[in-house]
Amino acid sequence: MPAAARNRVVYFLIAPAVLILAVTSLYPAVFSFALSFFNWNWGVQFDFIGLRNYVDLFRSAEFWQVLYQTFLFAVLATALELVLGVALAVVVDRLKFGQSIIRTLLLTPLMVSGIIVALMSKIVLDPMLGIVNYVLISLGMAPSPFFGTTATAMSTVIMVDAWWQTAFVFIIVLAGLQSLPQEPLEAARVDGADGFQTLFRVKLPMLRTVLFTILIFRTIDTLKVFDIIFGTTGGGPQIATEVMQTLAYRKAFSFLQMSEAMTVMVIFSVIVLAISLVYLRLEERLEED
Amino acid sequence: MVSSRRDQLERTLAYLISLAAILLTLFPIVWLLSVSLKTQRDAFAMPPKLIFEPIGDHFLGLLERPGFVEAFMNSVNVTALGVFFAISIAIFASYGIHRFRFRGKKLFGVWLLLAYMLPEFLFIIPMFVLYQRIGWYDTDFGLALVYQVHSLPFAVWLIRSFFKEVPRDLDDAARIDGCNHIRTLRHVYIPMAAPGIAATAILTAIWIWNELTIALSLTFRETQTITVAVASFRGYTSINWGQMAAASIVAILPMLVFAIFAQKYIVKGLTLGSLKG
Repeated sequence: MPAAARNRVVYFLIAPAVLILAVTSLYPAVFSFALSFFNWNWGVQFDFIGLRNYVDLFRSAEFWQVLYQTFLFAVLATALELVLGVALAVVVDRLKFGQSIIRTLLLTPLMVSGIIVALMSKIVLDPMLGIVNYVLISLGMAPSPFFGTTATAMSTVIMVDAWWQTAFVFIIVLAGLQSLPQEPLEAARVDGADGFQTLFRVKLPMLRTVLFTILIFRTIDTLKVFDIIFGTTGGGPQIATEVMQTLAYRKAFSFLQMSEAMTVMVIFSVIVLAISLVYLRLEERLEED
Repeated sequence: MVSSRRDQLERTLAYLISLAAILLTLFPIVWLLSVSLKTQRDAFAMPPKLIFEPIGDHFLGLLERPGFVEAFMNSVNVTALGVFFAISIAIFASYGIHRFRFRGKKLFGVWLLLAYMLPEFLFIIPMFVLYQRIGWYDTDFGLALVYQVHSLPFAVWLIRSFFKEVPRDLDDAARIDGCNHIRTLRHVYIPMAAPGIAATAILTAIWIWNELTIALSLTFRETQTITVAVASFRGYTSINWGQMAAASIVAILPMLVFAIFAQKYIVKGLTLGSLKG
């Protein structure tokens, strides 16, 4: 890195970025926080009610269920995508021919919008007319109601998210594996380590910072899930797949409970930002090691 | 040798697993394409029809569906505008972060990250209120501006890591030749990092094109984007699979073509960002 200079010029360079960030993130954060102490439903009524919105939310069973479901979705989807993505990268890394075309084909889900992924999965996973249930029945297996019942809806949306985002983990881990220095791998081979041992004791530990970065991004991204659920179950059946962002959408645009929606988002943002900051700290520590 | 045989076996297995992964990845998209070309009867047929007479009615029908063509064009506009904002502003900011020490540098970095991490509905509702008041609601400009909360930090982060790759000597040489900062940026950093900047622009374009949450809440009639138009097919009451599938294919296609031609850049952007962030 060039010896960083001190110069007033820099403030002109970053000023446009600061201005835009102020309008798109600082103002909304302050506005939402302030509004969460009022009672406002788009109308003329606009009373200061202190912590009532918070108290009401914390007292409602629905809020806790939705918070729990948001984390359930995030933890399971992230774990599934990490395991599948790493496994796939390890497998593709072993291929000698056709690696680049295989990589291109496996990358396609990332080009597809979440709402299209959602509609597409509604077509193939339709309980009555879907191709997947037809195949399951043909193979002698039991068909699934997929999005249709409270028992299966959550695992179905997790599966759909994994179809969509595993490629993200895959592509980065593959590039990571291929950029590893050769000496430690040679050394492991000389020591008689087999493929599995080399993978788990040498390669993956060397990629720990990359894996950690992926973990951060997938966790935050899955916590914020919206289009996949909006497009498939809309939060249902009942509220079995409702998550924080769909809850805020419903409160704000279906019930016009603006202050309540903002209170939900203030609480949720604090959680998301706290997780981001903890991760950031841990990553710094990982890099120091 | 025993190990070479085992190697061969492992490799064969690796090909089989890759093939299965490709099938699982591509099947839903191929199926969606087939539904978009089927009559309603063929689409609902049990057992599913693998061989059918393709029809173009659903695609033609989209042309007559109110607002669909406009939504496509709106997405083109919003994407172009959003990418332009993100890249032009991020180039200066990245250069600033890369080249200077300044008060609040760390804070600026954390702010970028946190802005990127914020859940959409935290800023959607306040922006909605603001835009209603100042008349930016349902405009291309307003939507492209809100997208910067995500696109700008992403672009700064990536472009900065590409600037780090620019050899120090070139920067020094430009200084000695009497270049000021703007000239150094223009004649050294931007040309050297051009492939990286292209990668950033492509990834930003893909993100904006595919974005739904924000567009759904901040557009109404005038600037509905393609994802909002596709989303309007959702709901159990109207099971118009054919047209829904056709609309989805139309929305996917530009990005797929993009991906095929710009694959190298996409991989570069996705991987450099996290490998050297």
